[in-house]
Amino acid sequence: MNNRVSHMIRALIYVVLLPFATSIMPGCSGHEEHPHQEKGHHSIVEQLRHADKDTIEYEVSTEELMADIKKVLAQVPESEKEFYVLERQSMIKSYPCSNCHSVPLEELKAESKDKKKAHWNIELVHAGSDAMECSTCHDTNNLDQLKTITGKALTFDHSYKQCAQCHSQQYKDWIGGAHGKRVAGWAPPRLIYSCASCHNPHSPAFKPRWPARLNTQKLKELNGK
Amino acid sequence: MRDNDPNQKPSSGCNSGNCSCGDGYDQKLNKKTSRRNMLKSLTAGLLAGTGMVNSACSVTASDDEKDQKQLEWEEFFKGNYRLMTDKEKSETVERLEKLYELNNGKKINVSAQGAEKDVLYGYAFNISKCQGYMDCVNACVQENNQDRSSQMQYIRIHEMENGRINFEDAEDNFFHEVPAEGHFYMGTQCYHCENPPCVDVCPVEATWKEKDGIVVIDYDWCIGCRYCMAACPYDGRRFNWATPEIPEEEVNKNQHYLGNRLRKKGVMEKCTFCIQRSRNGKNPACVEACPTGARIFGNLLDPDSEIRWVLANKKVFRLKEDLGTEPKFWYFMD
Ligand code: SF4
Ligand code: SF4
Repeated sequence: MNNRVSHMIRALIYVVLLPFATSIMPGCSGHEEHPHQEKGHHSIVEQLRHADKDTIEYEVSTEELMADIKKVLAQVPESEKEFYVLERQSMIKSYPCSNCHSVPLEELKAESKDKKKAHWNIELVHAGSDAMECSTCHDTNNLDQLKTITGKALTFDHSYKQCAQCHSQQYKDWIGGAHGKRVAGWAPPRLIYSCASCHNPHSPAFKPRWPARLNTQKLKELNGK
Repeated sequence: MRDNDPNQKPSSGCNSGNCSCGDGYDQKLNKKTSRRNMLKSLTAGLLAGTGMVNSACSVTASDDEKDQKQLEWEEFFKGNYRLMTDKEKSETVERLEKLYELNNGKKINVSAQGAEKDVLYGYAFNISKCQGYMDCVNACVQENNQDRSSQMQYIRIHEMENGRINFEDAEDNFFHEVPAEGHFYMGTQCYHCENPPCVDVCPVEATWKEKDGIVVIDYDWCIGCRYCMAACPYDGRRFNWATPEIPEEEVNKNQHYLGNRLRKKGVMEKCTFCIQRSRNGKNPACVEACPTGARIFGNLLDPDSEIRWVLANKKVFRLKEDLGTEPKFWYFMD
């Protein structure tokens, strides 16, 4: 009720004052100008080329936002710029794997015939079985780490290098910023998700699902109710 | 609607005498002192003319009411945010916080944080990545306190048939398993045009472009004429036909004056790149919520930013480029 009265008063004020106010509007030149508008219709991309600074001194930072997040400095010689990726190893529930995998796989299989199995349900839906099997990525001699195609050791924290061996375009985009995404903030320093943060390495494709919402109000309008 | 829990009353009731609010007529007519005095005496008169204005520091119901009236009065006559001094900005923000506490018994935090130097925000949307999940829409509605009853959404996700961009035949209210066979998804929202036609047409300058490129609206200066809505070539603006309703427990209390603070009936609103987040270095809620990484946000003036990498290395395009509006929102494909 209160609202309605105030609205009416307001409307009245505008009716009376509007012509007056707009007529003196250009006169308030002491106030903030529009810095970008002045440049007219030069394309924004063109403007950017000339506007670049060597260094930008940011007041905002992602430092604080990512302070409590476990991360490692990415080992990416392809990039001149330093950035962080989310830690992976500490996220694996039953790490270190050698807690159970203390003997070679074959032996373990033989001796644990009637014991409860761990991760028995993992199904590899990633490339074809011709190209991929467990040991393509996992080091069967040391299951606490991964290995590259040529057999070099790789920690789980840097598993993105594993992915990069086949997915070179995605890797390039990930380093640049067109694939994957930032954690916490847009400002430097840069912390990004690792490949396996979003893709299950055993079944990396995104799954079909239902949308998070349906706008029932819009539906009503469309149906003319 | 008001929650009158006596335990939730604010602790201070002692601000009534020292109003120093700027306002529209001040800004235009430059007669600050005389009008302020007039306002003060008017306010005093309004408050029952008993001379109680300066007397009360005890916390009683009538004090609260009095405070509230005074605050409402000062709020009503404040000026256009764009023309306020920093002091006036912090004063109005403080009034809004107090008023919310008086009305709802809960504290909110309204920021008046300004644009940062050497920052111009830009956004890129990867149409090969978007799967139509709509997690961004949910995040946006919650973050930005959009009206739940009309189900207002700043973001629309358009489901289009593979082959070409066609908004006519696109479906933006789908509800089936996504992504649908043979379709792709394209998100739209306010593009924060560098030459925004919506700003040019506003008769009261209630909407403008900030120095960091965010196009904002002063919800208290907007008269609801909807010129801007008509002028926007991208369907970027949303209008409050009724008083927005948000369940108290769902209100995002972390607010910005030009962003997600609570709106009222008859005013325009739209995406602000989550100004309350972005000016603190955070990503907008939609960017954070997107599970596919289709949304990229950053500083266009920083050659090291992701958005600049995308502009330099991907084939980007914008909608209706021939209009010269220069949206700071690009689309690209993998
Ligand atoms: S998209 Fe529309 S509302 Fe947003 S700045 Fe451009 S013209 Fe204005
Ligand atoms: S609706 Fe509000 S912001 Fe839009 S043109 Fe009218 S007064 Fe300006």
